[in-house]
Amino acid sequence: MKKRNWIRNAACLGAAFYIAILLVKPVGVSTQFSVLSGIFHSAVNENVITQDEDAENGYKSENEYYNRHGGKLAKSIKEPWNYDFVFVLAIPVGAALAYTLNRKDKRSELSDACADEKEDPHEQSPFRRYLPSFIGGFIILYGARMADGCTSGHMMSGMMQSSISGYIFAAAVFLTAIPTAIIIGIINGGKR
Amino acid sequence: MYTVLAIITGGFFGFSLYITGASMPKKLISMLRLQNLTLMKTILFAIGSASVHLAITAIFGWFQLSHLSIKAVNLGVIIGGLIFGIGFGSVGTCPGTCVAASASGGLKKAVAAIAGGLFGAFAFTLSYKGLKNIGLFDTMNLGKLTLFRISDEYDSVLNIGYPGLLIMGLLFVAASLLLPEKLRSDHDA
Repeated sequence: MKKRNWIRNAACLGAAFYIAILLVKPVGVSTQFSVLSGIFHSAVNENVITQDEDAENGYKSENEYYNRHGGKLAKSIKEPWNYDFVFVLAIPVGAALAYTLNRKDKRSELSDACADEKEDPHEQSPFRRYLPSFIGGFIILYGARMADGCTSGHMMSGMMQSSISGYIFAAAVFLTAIPTAIIIGIINGGKR
Repeated sequence: MYTVLAIITGGFFGFSLYITGASMPKKLISMLRLQNLTLMKTILFAIGSASVHLAITAIFGWFQLSHLSIKAVNLGVIIGGLIFGIGFGSVGTCPGTCVAASASGGLKKAVAAIAGGLFGAFAFTLSYKGLKNIGLFDTMNLGKLTLFRISDEYDSVLNIGYPGLLIMGLLFVAASLLLPEKLRSDHDA
C-alpha cells in the first residue's frame, strides 16, 4: 500500500468505529460466534434454551453462559435478527464491495490472504492447508469469549472509550502474539 | 430500522478493514513480526481519531451517552487475551477480519478460521460454568472501569472527562505518525 494512503485508510477505519458508536453502539464481532454456535446447539438440542416469562429477556437456559445477564445470549440465539447479528453479516458485504472497487492489478498484490509460508498447493492436502486456520480460529475465539471481546470490541472500541479492559486486553494479546508470530517465522525459516 | 443501520455500520466497517489491509493475514503477521508496522500505525490512528471524534461530539453535547459500552476488567480478560494472542500470532486473523476476508479474496482459509471460531466459541460456552466456578471472572474484578470520566455510569481512574479523552486521542494519533514503519529488518526473521 502506498505510504500516503495509509492515513486516509486509517481515518476511514476510525470513522467506521465512530459512526457505529454515534448511531448505535460500539463495534463488536466475537459475541456473534457464540450466538451462531448457540443457534446450532439449540437446533440440535431443543431443550437447551426454553422460553421463560420470568426471565429478564424471556428465555432461560440450562447452560450458564446463555443464561448470563438474564438470558441475554439465550434471547439472541432464539431471536437472532437483531442489530449485532446483521452488523456482522454486513462486514463481508462491505469488504466485498471494497474488493470489487479495488483495481485489478492492485488486487493481486493485496488479496493474498494466505498466512502460511511454504505454500505449494500440489504438495499440501486441503486438510493440512486449512487445519492451521481452523485451529487458529478455535484458539482465537476461545480466548475472545473468555475475555468477553476481541480486537474490535475490546481493543479498538474499548481503547477509543478509554476502557481499562481494552488496554489490558491489548497488552495481553500482543504479549503472546508478537513472540508467537516471530517464533513461527523462525521455525518456517523466515520465509514470508 | 436497526437492520438498515446495521448494514450501513457493518458494511462500512468491513469496507475499512479491507482497504486498511487488516483483513489480510499476511499483513497482520508482518506487523506482529515487527517487519511492517504500517498496520500498527493504522490501528493507533484509527483508535485515536475515533476518540477525538467521540470526545468532540460529546463535548458539544451531541453524543448519546447510552451508546457507550464498557467491558468489565477481570482475570478472564488477561488470560483470554493471552490465549487470543497465541492464535492471532500463529494465523494472523481475528474474529472481525476473518469475516471480512471471507468475501475479499481469502475465502477458504477465512471459512476454515470461522468454522474453527464457531467451535472455539462453543467450547467456551461449555466451559464457562467451570471457569466461573474456579473464580476466573471474580479474580481482579475491577468492574467497568474507564481511564477518563466519560459517563456517570462507569467508575473512572481520573476525574477528567471528555477533554482527557480528546488529549488521549491526539496522543494516539501522534504515536501513529511517529512510529517507524519497521523495527526489524526482513532478514532478521
